[in-house]
Amino acid sequence: MRAARTIAIAAVTGAFLLPLAWTGLAAVGVLPDDSMRPPSWTGPPTLDHIADIGVAEPTFWQELATSTVTAIVAACLSVAVAFPAAFALARSRYRGRRAVTQGFLVLASLPVMAYAFPLADLSRRVHLIDTFAGITLAEAAVTAPLAVFVLHGVVGQLPTEWEEAAVIDGAGLFRILGRVVLPLIAPAVAATLVVMFVLDWNMLLVPLVLTSGEVKTVPVALSDFFTFERELDWPTAAAALMVSLAPLAMLLGVFHRVLESFALQVPGDRDIG
Amino acid sequence: MRLTHRDHLLLFAPLAILVGGWLVIPALVGLSATLTTYSPLTTAVAFAGWKNYSDVLHDPQFGEAVRNVAIFALVAVPLELGLGFAIAYVLRRPIRGRSWWRGLLLLPWLVSPIAAGVMWHYLFSGATGIVNFVLGWLGLPEAASPIGDVRFALAATSAIEVWRMAPFVTFLLLPGLVAIPEERWEQATLAGASWFRRIVNVALPEVAPLMLSVGMLLTGLSLGAFDTILILTGGGPGTATLTPALYSYDRAFVTNDWPSGATSAWLIAAGVAVVGAAYIRLSGRRSG
Repeated sequence: MRAARTIAIAAVTGAFLLPLAWTGLAAVGVLPDDSMRPPSWTGPPTLDHIADIGVAEPTFWQELATSTVTAIVAACLSVAVAFPAAFALARSRYRGRRAVTQGFLVLASLPVMAYAFPLADLSRRVHLIDTFAGITLAEAAVTAPLAVFVLHGVVGQLPTEWEEAAVIDGAGLFRILGRVVLPLIAPAVAATLVVMFVLDWNMLLVPLVLTSGEVKTVPVALSDFFTFERELDWPTAAAALMVSLAPLAMLLGVFHRVLESFALQVPGDRDIG
Repeated sequence: MRLTHRDHLLLFAPLAILVGGWLVIPALVGLSATLTTYSPLTTAVAFAGWKNYSDVLHDPQFGEAVRNVAIFALVAVPLELGLGFAIAYVLRRPIRGRSWWRGLLLLPWLVSPIAAGVMWHYLFSGATGIVNFVLGWLGLPEAASPIGDVRFALAATSAIEVWRMAPFVTFLLLPGLVAIPEERWEQATLAGASWFRRIVNVALPEVAPLMLSVGMLLTGLSLGAFDTILILTGGGPGTATLTPALYSYDRAFVTNDWPSGATSAWLIAAGVAVVGAAYIRLSGRRSG
């Protein structure tokens, strides 16, 4: 029974990862040859295509760095502003607080298109277009509502005794947040950071409308290939895809245990103290 | 602990500044722009009443886009939830290296929507693709890429969305399934419940509120479908995969018709708001 389940999981995982494996093979020059019957693969493995990325898109490595920096800063910022608000929501006794929390999930589901153009227009007026700060702040704002929803669930699960004890000891609000609550939920906060990083890294529309080409993230660079109808050859495209996936895959490898503590908790009435 | 009004204010202030300034205010500016002739390049702004709305709603292309995105969401969201739940259900009991399986399964979600579009463009197409390779093995003739075919383009884009999001649904649902106490399963088994009964009577009631929240997120994402389709088909062939988000982008950036772009974008947001209101009501009833 246990073996059957392991086989089922392996089969499903294999099916989902097959397209990625195919791309990975193409990135190292192992390509399908349909002229043979049955089809087979051609080409010895090579790392040349990774070097070709820089030829097809000279600024690719710079874009990779831009993506990394903006996503790290944006993820930290959105979690930093979401955490106090999530705490306030979880500990408040107002009647509408459940609807407010769910409102944050609705806000997180709002299509970016609904505010992308005015955001670009307003950013231009305050000279935040084509700047790291402008893109990072916008990305952080877009992911913050989801961070509030997730962290609200995490704080809601936490017993209040620790905070009560700290209040008796005379600790102030921010001391309690930083020294008592944060350490207790550190794994869940780290997991939230990882998920926010992935969302920020993969964002297209926000960085796209906030740049005229000076500060480009990897997804924005990819969209150029559509806009200007440039055709990449497959091994180079595959290499670029694999290289831009690598940081996320490594992050997943390092944090897969921490991610076990990532859970969407549904705001219920039972955690009202 | 008891929070005072001042505490609330302090705790909410950073979030209010960030989300207010970069999300809520732009959204409201967009909303008010839908009633005017405002565009970033013009200097004279006039009140337009409902004209922008009637323009967009009378545009047959927008109708096509709404139809496409409705089909897209109605197909993709249930498939994502169903498939994601099924995988989570199998993973719920401890097996060796579960956190590794959970991590590996998450890989498709790490591919950005636009990178998924680039990737599947090649995987679907003739010489480089995976589809013709498999067909060749089976001794079947080569097939043309489904993204160039009016009949299959929307199905192909939905399939990509399911491929990318179903693993993420598994990732979100698994903690909920794992948290179900062991006695519940045992009781059901002792009562002679089939595996189907166990899913319906034990698993689903426990994860239903969670699935509702995940469904909300997925519906919002589907209704705003943009990145993958932009690069894969650009909305084509014809209008076969045009979505309201692509329509809006096209109006605002390609044909420089800003009022139509803002208005169609707000019509998507209104759709999400309606779904959101239903979500808040539904989950209120469950726990209330």
